[in-house]
Amino acid sequence: MIFQMIKKQYLQFLRNPVEIVLLIGLPIILITILGNALGNLIDGGEIDLTFKLAIIEHEDEEIQVENFLTELENGDLPDEIIAAFAAVTDSLAPVEMFKEVLRSEELNDMIIVEEAHAREMDAIKADDSYAAILEFPENFSADLLENILLDEKMNPEAIIHYKAGSEIAGNIVEQIVAMYQEEFTLGTFLGNNGIDPQQLQQKGAEITQEVSSVSPHEPLSAKAYYTIGMIVMNVLFMATTIAQYAFRERQSHIFNRMIIADFSRWVYFIGILLTALIFAWIQAILVFIFAYFAFDVTWPDLTAFLVITFFFTLAVGGLAVLLTAISFRSNSEQIISFFSGVVVTIFAFLGGSFFPSGTGSFLGKLGDYTPNGAAMSAYLSILRGESITDNADHLIFIACFAIGAIIIGVISYPKRGAAS
Amino acid sequence: MLELIDITKKYKQTKAVKNMNMYIEKGEIVGLLGPNGAGKSTAISILSSLLEPTSGDVKFRNKSMIKNPKSLRQIIGIVPQEIALYEDLSAEENMKFFGRIYRLKGEKLKNKISEVLEQIGLADRRKDVVKTFSGGMKRRLNIGVAMLHDPEILIMDEPTVGIDPQSRNYILQTVKRLNKERQMTVLYTSHYMEEVEYLCDRIYIMDKGNLIASGTKDEIKQILASENTIYLKADYWNESFITKLQEKPQIHQMKVEGNEIVLVVSKDVAIFSKLAHLAEETSVQLRAVDVKQVTLEDVFLHLTGRALRD
Repeated sequence: MIFQMIKKQYLQFLRNPVEIVLLIGLPIILITILGNALGNLIDGGEIDLTFKLAIIEHEDEEIQVENFLTELENGDLPDEIIAAFAAVTDSLAPVEMFKEVLRSEELNDMIIVEEAHAREMDAIKADDSYAAILEFPENFSADLLENILLDEKMNPEAIIHYKAGSEIAGNIVEQIVAMYQEEFTLGTFLGNNGIDPQQLQQKGAEITQEVSSVSPHEPLSAKAYYTIGMIVMNVLFMATTIAQYAFRERQSHIFNRMIIADFSRWVYFIGILLTALIFAWIQAILVFIFAYFAFDVTWPDLTAFLVITFFFTLAVGGLAVLLTAISFRSNSEQIISFFSGVVVTIFAFLGGSFFPSGTGSFLGKLGDYTPNGAAMSAYLSILRGESITDNADHLIFIACFAIGAIIIGVISYPKRGAAS
Repeated sequence: MLELIDITKKYKQTKAVKNMNMYIEKGEIVGLLGPNGAGKSTAISILSSLLEPTSGDVKFRNKSMIKNPKSLRQIIGIVPQEIALYEDLSAEENMKFFGRIYRLKGEKLKNKISEVLEQIGLADRRKDVVKTFSGGMKRRLNIGVAMLHDPEILIMDEPTVGIDPQSRNYILQTVKRLNKERQMTVLYTSHYMEEVEYLCDRIYIMDKGNLIASGTKDEIKQILASENTIYLKADYWNESFITKLQEKPQIHQMKVEGNEIVLVVSKDVAIFSKLAHLAEETSVQLRAVDVKQVTLEDVFLHLTGRALRD
């Protein structure tokens, strides 16, 4: 009789090609889109962000610094301090130093810096080849020095203009300016207080060197990652599809016919479990086969792959039983719609289907407590060359989830069939 | 053979069925008549072991079926009001599925499917998917599926709802034939009184969860033996005519339906001259006055003050 349930479901799928396209076509489309669009983030490639930046100074910085020193001499500061400031005049040119930063090796490839006169502003604004303009207003350097060294005047602000569609460039310049301003202020502060800034930098570098990650296994391609991500997400929809079919059986009183035929509810939910398991398995395998041919996603350990697929589809079967039981009990399809519309998305997000949440991170750990997340971790691990035994914890979790879902489903199954 | 004893079914605060008693003997066609929402479907769900009653008992061959309905389930076939079929499967695939559910297999199942498809007139459409069928064909297949395992009792819940007169006639003929040729016991629920009147030996009438009358057709009609049903027709009615009719103590029931008024009056009262006089007095131009034989519809109107299809 269970075979009849599976056969009946097979015939229904066969006559609903739209359903098949959604269950199998959708993950394939998503793998292709996400694998290509977000591939650079995973494959370690760089996104091309080269842009042209115009720097406009409204007043010559050298004159500003000279004026600043003259004002200092005319003021009531002690002569030693004035002499010390004059000795480091070179390092008191914040705008010049900033330009040096922009021309540094690290930023040279990304930002093409061009200096321009204030009167050229309108022409540059009209020129589409510039992504951003950094404008230093009159007396900017003098005001900045006064703010930092004498604690007077407000911190002056450089103005950043960016063209429509160049928000990323604008954002990058904004961050570089903020970081530079922070460092310049800190450096000057440390200098004033007799601390060697280089010593601090050395310590910082040492700390950074300690935080390094070395993976002994093969790196994954984006397409391989998203093949797994999309399969573990989309296979969850098989549970909702099977539960939906079951609910329709109840609504149309087919389920009542079964009850009157003395069809045991145990047999019924074993039928639901196996139907969901088998079709989820077929769905996953078909997409994996596609990924093998289209994206060259190959499995180093086929047995381990099949074991994980079995465990995961068992959890999908358990979910189908649970959703069917709750929808029968509540006499409403809402739980199925909620699961398919909201819970699957949350599970997919936590499980890392959309982007890698990182092993050991909070999100990554949380994701391992979802059936798809645990399956994904296990698949990824196998794909990286690890063994099935390394994934025992994931498999145990998936099995427990499946058994838990089935037990709750059985408990909440309505005692007697529905009547109008 | 099958009995409902003092059955009550309560849903939260609503009593869908109240202290209902009913019995069905082997080989008879019993009608359960009542308007929509009368409690017929709940009653047959209890009778067919789909629902447990809040109180009371269901007995089959003098054994209670409440806790262990297995022996009852083996001999009943149910035709639900809804089309309980897989629309994406063909007629034959549906029959195979439900036949297997009833533990039929092999040649026996194959032969049974052919036989039932012949009986319901769908043999030539056996390979067609149900969603391509007309409403009447779906209804016939709905009945056919319930007949696969040769049930002793066929419970039919409004099996002719929403179909054309031709299909309805086919279904009624099929039910009659099954009863005659196979001595199949049938419980037939409907709110079409003419169907129940045509098919059934005995009738139960339900309204608002209560059984309000039961017996053979003649016994039920005897309720109105001392009364006549008079149909008045006019182009229009005025308020004064209707008010004055309502004031007449000889008129037991009255229902206005468009340009027709149905009156239930005592047989021994000479009412015609009074009606003519009243029409003249209120300037109503009577087009026709007709006295008809009592129907189940009249009995229902008499008992509840409402028409069956209200």
